[in-house]
Amino acid sequence: MKYSIYLLLSATFFIFGCGTTSKLNKVQAYKGMYEEKPLSVLIMPPINRSTNVEAKEYFYTTLNVPILNAGYYVIPPFLSMEILKRESAYDSELFIERPSLKIFNNIFGADIILFTIINKWDKSSIGSKVTVEVEYILKSTHTNEILYSRKGTISYNTSISSGGGALLNILASVANTAATKYVEVAKAANNYIFTDLPKGKYSPMFGLDKEEMAGLKVIKVRLPK
Amino acid sequence: MKKYIYIYIIAFAFSSCSTSKGLYSWDKYQKASYNYFKKADEKSIDQIMVQYQKIIKQQKGTRKVTPPGMFADYGYFLIQRGDLKKGKENLKKEILLYPESKIFIDRILKFIEE
Repeated sequence: MKYSIYLLLSATFFIFGCGTTSKLNKVQAYKGMYEEKPLSVLIMPPINRSTNVEAKEYFYTTLNVPILNAGYYVIPPFLSMEILKRESAYDSELFIERPSLKIFNNIFGADIILFTIINKWDKSSIGSKVTVEVEYILKSTHTNEILYSRKGTISYNTSISSGGGALLNILASVANTAATKYVEVAKAANNYIFTDLPKGKYSPMFGLDKEEMAGLKVIKVRLPK
Repeated sequence: MKKYIYIYIIAFAFSSCSTSKGLYSWDKYQKASYNYFKKADEKSIDQIMVQYQKIIKQQKGTRKVTPPGMFADYGYFLIQRGDLKKGKENLKKEILLYPESKIFIDRILKFIEE
């Protein structure tokens, strides 16, 4: 019995941890990231195309930590949000297609800008499946090139099953708390998306991950019960 | 014996993704950020202030350095609460630790002084 739990746990980590890989390595998939070596990242308020009005700000709170953990400088999220609001730049739709993002370099010192688009952030009416679909686009303020873009659809069934192993039960109970379940699923999406991000200056792996295999551009994951 | 094999598998799964030990420790920072956005009341500000203090003073990540943005956002909340002096000190600490923040933080400091 114990062994089967270990096996289940380890299998889960394999599925969770790395996702599926494409046939490109990172330097091929994200050439611009290695050429421009961006340091400073500005996170724009997410573009919300879902029907859930609260999604924008909740998703925003999940974004700085994974990028910091990858070794980048992230412009202080609360302070920058305040300034973006004051400057009436809170609506990211106005900027995503702009031919130049230099102004963000002038004001914030940002090398790259993270745009995110929430396509889905909802719960199915039948059953209790939560689905979060988000696109992530990193654009250079120097060249206006898209340096990194990936899309993830993560779904999770919040009805607790029995015998999923201790860890999975913890995960399930976390996700079952009504107030936080979307945020937890969004965090899982971030983990999938940002594991691929070439490491930044503050990571010991900076510049050393070129040969690692890149993940797929579009990811669909159903978190196990 | 079999047990050890499974443990190896788990260890490998962890190491292959290199996420086991992070650059920084975060305690309950993300939860506190979320609560602040949700409620924006005094209690949620108290909670996030406690998190900044922990992240700044009790950093357990591999870099052993306060993560980017934390001094600055902490300063921002201090200023909101009327502690201008301490707030400005923290904004300046951000520049010292992360010179790439100078353009932005200098602008904020100028705003405050005007």
